[in-house]
Amino acid sequence: MTRRFPLVYGTLLAVSALGIALALAQIFLVAPEERVMGAVQKIFYIHVPLAAVTFLAVFVLLVGALGYLTTGRPVWDRLAVAACEVGWVFCTLVLITGPIWAKPAWGVWWTWEAKITTTLVLWLLLAGIVVARGYATTPEQAARVGAVLGVVAALDVPIVYKAVDWWRGQHPIVFGPGRGDPLAPGMGRALLLSMLAVTVLFSALVVLRMRLAALEEALAAAEDAAGRSW
Amino acid sequence: MKSYAFLFWGYLVVWAGIVLYLAFLGTRLARAGRRLEALERRLHERAPSAR
Repeated sequence: MTRRFPLVYGTLLAVSALGIALALAQIFLVAPEERVMGAVQKIFYIHVPLAAVTFLAVFVLLVGALGYLTTGRPVWDRLAVAACEVGWVFCTLVLITGPIWAKPAWGVWWTWEAKITTTLVLWLLLAGIVVARGYATTPEQAARVGAVLGVVAALDVPIVYKAVDWWRGQHPIVFGPGRGDPLAPGMGRALLLSMLAVTVLFSALVVLRMRLAALEEALAAAEDAAGRSW
Repeated sequence: MKSYAFLFWGYLVVWAGIVLYLAFLGTRLARAGRRLEALERRLHERAPSAR
């Protein structure tokens, strides 16, 4: 991974940049304007992929957390910490782009609607993992605490997904079997391209964050060795 | 026109956020790399005198 890192990271970043450029062209030049909301509906093409990739990030966090709890291998912890931090960044952007659509559509920046509130809970859980890891006294304790909290955070994802059904919220339903209205072809392509570009960007950021975690582990080990020899 | 202003800010916030996060990770990577190199250099300098 160390030697291949520049190639893997560079390729992922270049593909995501190309994907983002294509997605933006499709969103602003090809996709038709929605009849009721007009241009402001186009925020949906970035808000929805960011939300979907936040769910993916929490799934990767869960895989890393369970992997660490069962094997104790540091690579699983690196995966978990990377997915958690990148997922938190994406969740932050979901909570910012949502109100940018909500203000013109609903007339308010924020409402304590079920899906929005449970997404805020997810954001707090991910932030809590980052903070709790910072307070741990050893890397092993940080990894264990992060893994257990990661499993807890993952429990919130199905709640966010089903929140509109369970509490009859007003948030639009986009995905799922028998859920949401079919999109016009130009709209569907724009959403798909944006979804792919954001997913590749997520992968690039996770690879970069895992590299940082590995380097910080090596640094801590080297400082420990130096402390013992001097 | 107001809708396009909203859109502009929406997309700007997203890409600015991602670029800031990339810069944050890049800075931490560079700092960790520099500290590791300095530590390795000091360890190599110490090693001959210890013999």
